[in-house]
Amino acid sequence: MQITQPLAETAERRRENLFVRIVRRLADSRELTLFVLVVALALAMSIVYPNNFPTASNMRAVLLNLAPVGMLVCGMMLLMIGGTFDLSVGSTLAFSGVWAGVVAGWWGWPAEIAVLVGIMVGALCGLVNGLIVTRIGINALIATLGTLTIYRSLTYVTAGTGVTPITDAFAEYGRAADPLFRIQSPFWAMLVLVLIGGWLVARTRFFRQFYFIGGNPRAAQLSGIRVDRLILIGFVIMGALAGLAGVLGAARLNSAVVNAGVGIELKVITATVLGGASLKGGEGTILGGILGVLFIALIENAMIINAIGVFWQGLVVGLVLLFAVSLDRFKTSGRA
Amino acid sequence: MAPRLEINGLSKFFPGVRALDDVSMSVEAGEIRALLGENGAGKSTLGKIVAGVYSRDQGTVLVDSAEIGTLDEKAAGDLGIGIVHQEGSLVPQLSVAENIFAGRQPTQWLGQVNVRAMREQAKALIAQLGVAIDPALKVSALSPAQAQIVEIAKALSRDLRILILDEPTAALTLTETEKLFDVVRRLAGNGVSVVYVSHRLAEIFSLCHSVTVLKDGRLAGTRRVAETSTDELIRLMVGRDVHFSRSAAGRRIGDIVLEAQDVEAPPLVRSASITVRAGEIVCLAGLIGSGRSEFCEAIFGARRRHGGSIRIGGTAIDPKGPWDGKHAGIGMVPEDRKAAGLFLGMDIVNNVAATVLSRVSSGANFSNRKAEALARNFVDELRIATPSVHQIVGNLSGGNQQKVLLAKWMAMEPRLLIVDEPTRGVDVGARSEIYRLLRALADKGVALLVVSSDLPEVLALADRIVVMAEGRTVGELRGDGASEEQVLRLATRYTASVAEVRKQPGMAEA
Repeated sequence: MQITQPLAETAERRRENLFVRIVRRLADSRELTLFVLVVALALAMSIVYPNNFPTASNMRAVLLNLAPVGMLVCGMMLLMIGGTFDLSVGSTLAFSGVWAGVVAGWWGWPAEIAVLVGIMVGALCGLVNGLIVTRIGINALIATLGTLTIYRSLTYVTAGTGVTPITDAFAEYGRAADPLFRIQSPFWAMLVLVLIGGWLVARTRFFRQFYFIGGNPRAAQLSGIRVDRLILIGFVIMGALAGLAGVLGAARLNSAVVNAGVGIELKVITATVLGGASLKGGEGTILGGILGVLFIALIENAMIINAIGVFWQGLVVGLVLLFAVSLDRFKTSGRA
Repeated sequence: MAPRLEINGLSKFFPGVRALDDVSMSVEAGEIRALLGENGAGKSTLGKIVAGVYSRDQGTVLVDSAEIGTLDEKAAGDLGIGIVHQEGSLVPQLSVAENIFAGRQPTQWLGQVNVRAMREQAKALIAQLGVAIDPALKVSALSPAQAQIVEIAKALSRDLRILILDEPTAALTLTETEKLFDVVRRLAGNGVSVVYVSHRLAEIFSLCHSVTVLKDGRLAGTRRVAETSTDELIRLMVGRDVHFSRSAAGRRIGDIVLEAQDVEAPPLVRSASITVRAGEIVCLAGLIGSGRSEFCEAIFGARRRHGGSIRIGGTAIDPKGPWDGKHAGIGMVPEDRKAAGLFLGMDIVNNVAATVLSRVSSGANFSNRKAEALARNFVDELRIATPSVHQIVGNLSGGNQQKVLLAKWMAMEPRLLIVDEPTRGVDVGARSEIYRLLRALADKGVALLVVSSDLPEVLALADRIVVMAEGRTVGELRGDGASEEQVLRLATRYTASVAEVRKQPGMAEA
């Protein structure tokens, strides 16, 4: 029977050497693995580059630069837990930023309205994605690949080469910094999102439903979970987050760039998978996702400090991703 | 003359099941032989072994007196044994001709497929069957009946000696069935031996020369169709030795909980009605494809209903999705536990909590503590054998998985619990426990609607038996005193004879 199995397993495990046990322990929790890696990397860099890495200005730059990906990871993690994803986030980001720029810069409307319009445009893009996936039933890969090019094209149609400058009042939304650490608002916005999102996804019963959907959509449906409605909501959240990231990005530069966010979707998905999401769904946490973002940001920073050109970044990030996912083979708690 | 096909002492084991046990039969050239049996009697398995789809564990197979060693699909094809599968084996995106000559297309210069020759040959083959289908058409554009003809043509494309048809009429309308029969008769006239796997008695009487009946994997008898009767065949199909005892407890049957009337959910549910009272176990019996599961899904909201009414506790409901059914107090344990029932990658706690997320929460927060307590209760109550409530459900045995699935629905405390095939893939020990659980639920006043293809199970559980056939509820029996024969007679009544069925109003064409 089943009961005897764990006993045999412990006996077997006792024979394994220390190294394997450590690997297993780490592999059991992706968050723990990443946390250890992030801390180790940060320590190593502090020792190797004491004059470049652990400085306030470098930290500020790292944290500010990871803000947009960090915001997007919250939404992408939710979607991937539910067994789906959104490739159009980069285009949504640019489209939202450009609309905020148009409303504030060209039409001269108040900055608050521009921010709201940007987020609404993002949410609308997400709604369209969600409707295509759930109502028409087109696979998320194809659907959001389609809207990726559509939204980007609409961005060009809307604003040509972009809106520069926008207005000072609008720029303040992306430039305001706290008095203590002097980090600008996109980072704080991301931090708040991660904290609230992390709590929502980990603890609330509403978001718990996404784990069931990702685990087995048919069983979730037959358990009375409104699968389509929730996936639709997930896409709207994803779109709104991309909208927010786009608006804050445009505000920080005081310029709505039509090429903003090109290729960011792959970075976001990399961080999400690194953070413990599976393409099959049902797994992952926001905490893991944000640790994934942090880890990639540190690696990029190391390479910049090291002056190893940007060409090598992709190689390292790719290898780390493959390594992290292959750790799953050592998992003890997974399905046999 | 030696028989075309001779089978001696054939046995086949699947994990935990003896699907075929020492079966022997022989079929002459040009004979149409029916293989008859209940769901799970082993008739499809036998057909698939002869066609080389499954390997045999014991026994010999002789074709035209020559003993066949290893028999795989390729060897069977080379021997002239063809099979038309229940589910179909054609590639819908390819043309009729390409499907017929899959892997053996006539070629020309540099190995190019000679499309014209291939189409000509395909056309000729189909013409032999007395039908006309354009060989350039894609299979996806064909009707189910035409697809079946193409499958036969595919078998015919090699020198066909034995043709196995595995429940070919399941998806066909009556006129299509007649057409298929003409084709089969024509083939038999040309000397092909046909093994016709079916559980529809009517078809056997109108098509076959002889019939071999299987019962629980064993040979129950072979008869000439002209010399047998429906009654005799039904007697051969049933009468097993395994009987689960009925509970003697005098249960208090209460008010009507479910009242469904004239429910229509095309194409499989045409007009089905049922009532279930509190504390009562009603079993829905019938052959596979009779629309039982689909009827239940329509009640629960998992399938769109086109007509009829559903009342729960006297209040009419119109469930648009499973959430509405759940809201009305209905639970449904689906037939396919792995695909539709459980979250195999999740632990017992989460599986049990899936239907009662609000009950295991404090405010908006999911409470792991409450969920664990709930799961622990069920593990104790249902005696689920597991090292902990955090065990991944995919690692449990079939019987324990089934108990987790029941727990998931018992957790929501339904007024009506629908259980579709409560013991499929569950060993005998866990079976009687599941029966005990279902009875205990009924004793607590839950109305139970159980779908089962297992007649001993139906007879052991049911207070009342409602029989479905061809999408209609066709009869009702009292649970105690009912016999398997009575149930089967009702279940096959609608197919008693093709001609007779045709006279039924509304039964003509779907």
